Amino acid sequence: MKSLDRQSLEEQTRLVSRYVAGDLSRSERAEFEAWLIASPELAAEVEMERRLRRGIASAARRGWLRRSTPSRQYTPERRWRMAAAASVVLSVMALSAVLVFPERSSKAPGSTTTASLPARLLPARTVHLGSVRSMDTTPDVVVMRDQAPSELLVEPDVVTLTCEDGTLDFECAGGAAPSVPQYAEYEMDLVNRRGSTLAWRSARQLPSAGNRLSFVIPTPGSLAAGDYDMVVRGHSPDHEEVVARFWLRIAE
Amino acid sequence: MSNPPVDEIERIVIEALTGDRRAESRMLQALRPGVLAVLRYGAFHRWVDAEDLTQETLHIVVERVRARTIDDPRKVFAFAAATARNLALNAARKVLRQQTVVDSELVDELAQNLEMEQSDLSDSDDRQLAEAVMALLDELPTERDRQLLVRFYLEGVDKQQLCRELGLSPKHFDRVLMRARSRLRTIIERRAPHLALFPRITSILAALALSFTFWVRHFGSW
Repeated sequence: MKSLDRQSLEEQTRLVSRYVAGDLSRSERAEFEAWLIASPELAAEVEMERRLRRGIASAARRGWLRRSTPSRQYTPERRWRMAAAASVVLSVMALSAVLVFPERSSKAPGSTTTASLPARLLPARTVHLGSVRSMDTTPDVVVMRDQAPSELLVEPDVVTLTCEDGTLDFECAGGAAPSVPQYAEYEMDLVNRRGSTLAWRSARQLPSAGNRLSFVIPTPGSLAAGDYDMVVRGHSPDHEEVVARFWLRIAE
Repeated sequence: MSNPPVDEIERIVIEALTGDRRAESRMLQALRPGVLAVLRYGAFHRWVDAEDLTQETLHIVVERVRARTIDDPRKVFAFAAATARNLALNAARKVLRQQTVVDSELVDELAQNLEMEQSDLSDSDDRQLAEAVMALLDELPTERDRQLLVRFYLEGVDKQQLCRELGLSPKHFDRVLMRARSRLRTIIERRAPHLALFPRITSILAALALSFTFWVRHFGSW
């Protein structure tokens, strides 16, 4: 083992990737491991190397990486912010509509569109959600019960594309891009977090390349106030998996 | 609280070698993360209970330090690493013997050749880790650095080829990797601290427990 100086430690730090990959020779490994014992700093590097390898592999499995522009394919926070901003804009527009035109709707008894809906039921609302739920502490979607839309159209971007043989890769045989949805069918459950009870389940959908899934939650204003998980599940004949989970809040 | 630097650990071991029992406790605390790392990430990690063998390794190390058969702190580190590795090899042998693999060279080779991915993360942790890595990739200043990480870790392209294709020096390559690890650590500590494998409080408590065992065993009381 070389002297315990900073420079030697940095030399060893350069070997971290090779150590984790199992590429060091026997003598290199023995020296590296003696350094590991002496340096928690190096141990932390090894730990993060493992995490980095596993994290990248996991992200690739989930279809979050694309060879051409990896950074643009996945931006959960950005997407969530956009979804939140869109929700705010829609809510403000909806609220304005209610405040500006309340009399008109009540004074239009002949209108079949409004007559069948409660006084403050708003038009259907569409929410696009990224492939990954925000890690923030706020819900992905908020619906005010007294300003609830007639329908909540949830369009999550959760379908991972695979190669013909089912493998997850950047590039399939012959250089083609993955194009086959990972699961044959997808469905969404709405699970009330209080008591973990199923509040609603969608019909199963067949994914199609280029189109998002689209789940219509009817009359969300009729749901009890509280927090719900919107759980998207993929189904194949022999397997099912939760592919995404979003947070819906029904507020008073 | 941060981990002691390497020269501080060396000083602690020197004190322990003089027979100072308090320094011995500090030595156990200081060596524990490294021993755990060798067992967790070494060639035989899939066959061993790392926590269990860490205790056993430190036990053997402290006995050897007390016996005064080692006089150089660097030899203590090498001895601890070799002990951890041998204990792990024995554990692997036990498992592989059932598969009629008894040759230690072959055991070593088999262990090295098997993929080293851990499978101890839950789906939710795995997802959080993937999210943390994506946040890291998003933060990288250049597309080139992103390509470097993805191609190196995912596609297995070797360092020399990547340096050639991306026009990087080997030093720059190493710097990108080191910065990425450091940044990932920060992101994980912020978003999912339970994914950091060496929660400091755990290592402190474990070292205290180990010291307690030694004191009671050798002096009959705390």
